[in-house]
Amino acid sequence: MEQKRTPKMVRTWIKGYLFILPSIVGFSVFVAYPLLSSMYYALTEWGGYDRPRFVGFANFKYMFTVDPAFWPSIRATFYFVLMSVPSSLVLGLFLAVLLNRSLPGIKWFRTIFYLPTVVPSIATLTLWLFIYQPQYGLANSVLRALGLPDGTWLTSEMTALPSIVLVGLWQVGAGMIIFLSGLQAVPKDMYEAADVDGAPRWRILLHITLPMITPILFLQLILGIIGAFQAFNQVQVLTGGGPNFSTSLLNFKIYDDAFNGKLFGYSIAEVWVLFCIIMIFTLVTYRYSNRFVYYESDNSR
Amino acid sequence: MSKSQPMEGAVLTETIQSSRRRFPILDSIRFVVLLIGAVAMLFPLMWMITIALKSDNDVFQIPPEWFPRELHWSNFITGTREINFWHTFGNSLFIAVLCTFGQIVSSVLVGYGLGRLSFPGRKMWFSLFVGSLMLPGFVGMIPMFHLFTSIGWYDSWLPIIVPAFFGNATFSFLFVQYVKTIPVSFDEAAKIDGASDFYVLTKVLVPMTLPVIITMVIFAFQGSWNQYLEPLIYIVDQSKWTLSLAMASYTGVYSTAWNLFMAADLIYILPMLLLFFAGQKFFMQGLGSINSASIK
Repeated sequence: MEQKRTPKMVRTWIKGYLFILPSIVGFSVFVAYPLLSSMYYALTEWGGYDRPRFVGFANFKYMFTVDPAFWPSIRATFYFVLMSVPSSLVLGLFLAVLLNRSLPGIKWFRTIFYLPTVVPSIATLTLWLFIYQPQYGLANSVLRALGLPDGTWLTSEMTALPSIVLVGLWQVGAGMIIFLSGLQAVPKDMYEAADVDGAPRWRILLHITLPMITPILFLQLILGIIGAFQAFNQVQVLTGGGPNFSTSLLNFKIYDDAFNGKLFGYSIAEVWVLFCIIMIFTLVTYRYSNRFVYYESDNSR
Repeated sequence: MSKSQPMEGAVLTETIQSSRRRFPILDSIRFVVLLIGAVAMLFPLMWMITIALKSDNDVFQIPPEWFPRELHWSNFITGTREINFWHTFGNSLFIAVLCTFGQIVSSVLVGYGLGRLSFPGRKMWFSLFVGSLMLPGFVGMIPMFHLFTSIGWYDSWLPIIVPAFFGNATFSFLFVQYVKTIPVSFDEAAKIDGASDFYVLTKVLVPMTLPVIITMVIFAFQGSWNQYLEPLIYIVDQSKWTLSLAMASYTGVYSTAWNLFMAADLIYILPMLLLFFAGQKFFMQGLGSINSASIK
């Protein structure tokens, strides 16, 4: 019986591997190889075109003790993550709740709030570059129309990073739509039961809707953290890291060190520091998630 | 279960109506908040359009005029004459179509293998592929740059296009999750009739997974159209530039001709808008499935 099956099973195995072959090759070449080799490159002095020279942990020592741009960039990165992740989560969820129940023109509202995320990154950033333009930009025109003094936006150390965060909030629709589809998936019978009990809307929101979408909230939080730590285009197009390193996010510094400074080995060492920071943040978030994440099939955990 | 759903739907609409009767004020507030929000969201885009239609002098008018008296449609022609616009537009389109095609085909094949066929090591590969999503993109950037450069791919589109044909972990994951919601009996019925795996995939499963595939197409095209870092590090020759590179450099070179720039920028946005509105129906449906897949 078993022997009769075997050739057929082997055929299925081979077939399975043939189907996933693209990803096996892709994973080996584009993930495993660069990952393993960059573990070595992080310990070398390497300009990209010469031979890497093994220097041990000298890159890390230089990074933590000598490089004047490293700590400012860590500071900027943390500021950025702490400002952008919670604000876009809260705003996205808020909009999703507002857009969840029917209302005249609700489809139009949903489309309008999603629309900015369709605009390509570079088009968005170049548009905002002009919005923040000190004299003729929209941002200052609005302030003047309201009788307020001009803002400094991208030109001052204090306001440059918040201005970059604001651009991200314009594209909050990406998170909003995920929340919205989560809200739509909440079982209807739960609302029914609450309505029979005559529970007010805010209680339904607080005790049924929000707990039901905590898994999505959690996923969005993790993805948001990972994404925010890797912000690059914003800095490259809007500020180039300035003024005075105030927007020099670590990811931008890594690019800058590698391709403008020709410090390939050193910037790979910086990648690993970034990677460790992301891992720590993700693990800590994950660890504390079971305090607030509610799974419907709770016994499966 | 599915039979009772229309009933539930009826009950829900009634619930909404009854609560609307109870809270007409709440809904009015909601409407006003949404209206203000929507205006704020559209503001930058509307402004972009007015700037694109203004004359060179009107751009620098303080306070800005929202409805310019003369509409300078010629800005769209003049604006795209700079920076070799249509050439780079064509480059971007070519790259985006190839990348989208490659990612969808390879991810659907891999998704079928992982979701429908059983073989030893399937779970391990699945976790490896999904796990690779956790890695920051920059980990691979420099070694890959070195690798591609050393095989002579520097200043070509190959480092951008070729990887697209080797599966996209996110898309494969989505396809696996979506395919799981389709009963295996569909495959088995087709296989009893003598259909091959490839036939089952292309003729049975792909039509049934169309919403998620269209969602993937939109995301893949958007991803490629948006791509900035890879062209930035690989492509030097301006005739090979993508539109993202050209538009980013445009601001530096012609920093005063904002009306021309905005006109060009609007055309840069247009393919994404068209794709979004064309696929919107499927897109929302596909997103719904992504989300339910991600929880379960």
